[in-house]
Amino acid sequence: MARMSEAPKPDSGTVERFRVVMLPHLDAAYGFARWLTRDPVSAQDLAQEAMLRALRYFHAFRGEEAKPWLLRIVRNTWIDQRAKQGNDQPLEVVENRPAEGPDPEQSAQAGERRRQVAIALAALPAEMREILVLREIQDLPYKRIAAVLDLPIGTVMSRLSRARERMAAELRGRLGRREHGLPDL
Amino acid sequence: MDCPTCEAMVDAYLDGELTATESADFERALAGCPECRKRLDSARAIGGLLRDLPAEPAPDLLRARIERELRDIARPSGARPSDAGWAERLRWMAMAASLIVAVGIGWAGGVLTGRERGDSDPLIASYLRVAMAEHTVDVASSDRHTVKPWYAGRIDYSPPVYDLTAIGFPLIGGRLDVIAGRKVAVLVYGRNQHKLAVSLWPAGAGADTAARVTQRDGFTLGEWRHGGFEWRAVSDVSPSEMTSFAAALDRAVDD
Repeated sequence: MARMSEAPKPDSGTVERFRVVMLPHLDAAYGFARWLTRDPVSAQDLAQEAMLRALRYFHAFRGEEAKPWLLRIVRNTWIDQRAKQGNDQPLEVVENRPAEGPDPEQSAQAGERRRQVAIALAALPAEMREILVLREIQDLPYKRIAAVLDLPIGTVMSRLSRARERMAAELRGRLGRREHGLPDL
Repeated sequence: MDCPTCEAMVDAYLDGELTATESADFERALAGCPECRKRLDSARAIGGLLRDLPAEPAPDLLRARIERELRDIARPSGARPSDAGWAERLRWMAMAASLIVAVGIGWAGGVLTGRERGDSDPLIASYLRVAMAEHTVDVASSDRHTVKPWYAGRIDYSPPVYDLTAIGFPLIGGRLDVIAGRKVAVLVYGRNQHKLAVSLWPAGAGADTAARVTQRDGFTLGEWRHGGFEWRAVSDVSPSEMTSFAAALDRAVDD
């Protein structure tokens, strides 16, 4: 995906094709935006702007895998938004995040563990956070992660390795041994 | 294989990025390298913890906003939106903005359920998904014997489903939604050209209540407790129609 030029206003056929190809990945786009921004309101704005940008660039889509293509646009849109707005969202938003909803299937303990994992992930530096999300939550192979982040595969591997170590260190501090299941290093 | 070599392969091995030969070599080296074994276990545990985080689907309001944008863009350029179209769009934008703020505050401020006003926002978003998207229901049927069993295994309770066609509220179908982190049943009924989305879940303790019908941002909301369920209905029908809808459901429950 080289630099993409903008085409004139998409016609209704293009919009229809976009709807079929890209809209199924809206959940993924929002989920990624959610971890990038760490705020549900900003995540909606980001996902919406990215979807519209994706539509404008859609003429450059050549039938490759749609999800990484879209996630790359989400990330680039986020970088542009941050450059405009200056700073990240304050982290309090994440800390206040409610544990799980009133789902009786989830024990309070599991809810608290998930909450701590979410807080630890949100607290990571952006470049570690995004790579962990792409690998473990969006389930992308290295090749796709490299395309989304515009990095060589070797860098993807070493960055992912560092991100996992950092995350493990965070969680050892936050969770009891039995809960994180992490060996001491 | 020496330890630095096998250490460098831990992540790629875990992520399934090695060839079969490389994997076999790595596994052999791992047997003699307790440090790398620990690294592997640690990375695997991190993966498990992250994958266990609940997935957050795109909010219905976001989906509705994007659908609206796509529809506007797809409009042939000759067909300028009429004044009425613009007025409607402005109203829509104002409403969307107010909802986003409300939903955002609800999120940051704590759990959404149980608040008098706080819990109508996800319900409105849920309704918008029904009213605006092409894909309105997960199970489309006017037959309650098709709709009700569809929920088995999908949620942890069995929602009462009725066809109220005889009194002017035909059953259209049902879907699932996530409200305040909980999966709930949403039944969709029709009323002439309008739709009513009613979310219901098992009620806690407390006596039945009559439907309280309010209007907000151009929507009509009904909320009541009856027959062991909490009912929340959202629609663009009139308040009096909402009242008769609630009464019709209550009668069906009691029969």
